[in-house]
Amino acid sequence: MKSDIYNWFFLILKRDLLIAFRRSSTYITPLIFFLIVVSFFPLALSPDQDFLRSLAPGVIWIAALLSSLLAVETIFSEDFKDGTLDEFFVTNEPSFVLVFAKVLCHWLITGLPILLASAISSIILYLPASSFLPMICSLILGTFFMSLLGAMGAALSLGRSAILSSIIVLPFSIPTLLMGTAVVSSAINNQDYSGFLLIMGAMLAIGIPGLCLLTVEAILLNYE
Amino acid sequence: MLPKLKVKNLSCSRADNLLFHDLNFEVVAGKNIEIIGSNGSGKTTLLRILLGLINIGEGKLEWLDNEENYNHYRSIDCFYQGHSLGIKNLLSAHENLSLSSYSFGASEEKIAYALDRVGIKNHLSFTSELSVGQKKRISIARWLLKDFGIYFIDEPFSALDDQATSLIIEIIEELNAKGASFVITGHRASDVISNQIFLDHEV
Repeated sequence: MKSDIYNWFFLILKRDLLIAFRRSSTYITPLIFFLIVVSFFPLALSPDQDFLRSLAPGVIWIAALLSSLLAVETIFSEDFKDGTLDEFFVTNEPSFVLVFAKVLCHWLITGLPILLASAISSIILYLPASSFLPMICSLILGTFFMSLLGAMGAALSLGRSAILSSIIVLPFSIPTLLMGTAVVSSAINNQDYSGFLLIMGAMLAIGIPGLCLLTVEAILLNYE
Repeated sequence: MLPKLKVKNLSCSRADNLLFHDLNFEVVAGKNIEIIGSNGSGKTTLLRILLGLINIGEGKLEWLDNEENYNHYRSIDCFYQGHSLGIKNLLSAHENLSLSSYSFGASEEKIAYALDRVGIKNHLSFTSELSVGQKKRISIARWLLKDFGIYFIDEPFSALDDQATSLIIEIIEELNAKGASFVITGHRASDVISNQIFLDHEV
């Protein structure tokens, strides 16, 4: 049974990653979008180092949240349209595993490019080297939580307008935004940021089972 | 032989419209049932209720388990194909089978046999390069991946040429011989399945 669940999980992950890599726009778009948003700030406001450094936590986190929502509606919509989502729910395998595999796939194709883009952005925004690691840690936790939230929004808006899932998800992303910016700001000011990271970790630990189960129920609502 | 599934007094309403009322039938090993009705008569809804995708309004489903007891939950491996084919254009014919949820546990030999059986010669060709008819054949190949207990197929004979219809009938008979049952839907009665349920007359 245990190995069955692992095999089931990797079957879904392999399938979705293969499809995502054959459609390069899915992982290139968040990367480009993130870099464009971040590069607008020095152009539009001021290239002053201190000014940009003070804006950096908010800019990076807003860009990360928006980029992670770009492909959110695709998590289930294609499978719903072509009938494969029905098949997943008809098999006797746990639906929770299906949702978690799809969330992980979404994070791998959007969250990882965002991490790469944030590394480049830290140079554009003159972030001190000491804040790089806490920024990456907070983005790992935060973008994964955003993928979980995004999956729930995508499930609730299946078969409806693509923008609806982002509208559903954005208000729920405020705690992640606050914690994420607090981590980076604290790191820039050489303050302790571990408490904020722990809160983000706790949100993720609760979010993985909680939001995956809610997403399963949200998908099933579409059949009613 | 005990029926695999007993449907008792099943009724369903959607937005104050009664779709079907007091349906009773049994799915027996090796036998098929055809559900016939016009558009909106509740054929797809019925299949989804049977598979647990939609909650039962009124009535009861009893599924046979390995110990020959009847339960409200399903332990039989079932195959469902809705109106969509369940085929991904960015995957090859082989990948569409090997990475299908129904392939879970199916061997490479079984996948190759299934594709050969439905007449797909180039297993590595991308489905985006194939015709609709060939995609339909790939979706039929998935029926052969495992020994499913019951196949729930929504309108399998719609928009098919004679050759593909014959192929489906052959495969249904082949799987019936192994004990599998089919519950299929259609707008009009086909000549191949004798046990028919007319939804339009139930309302």
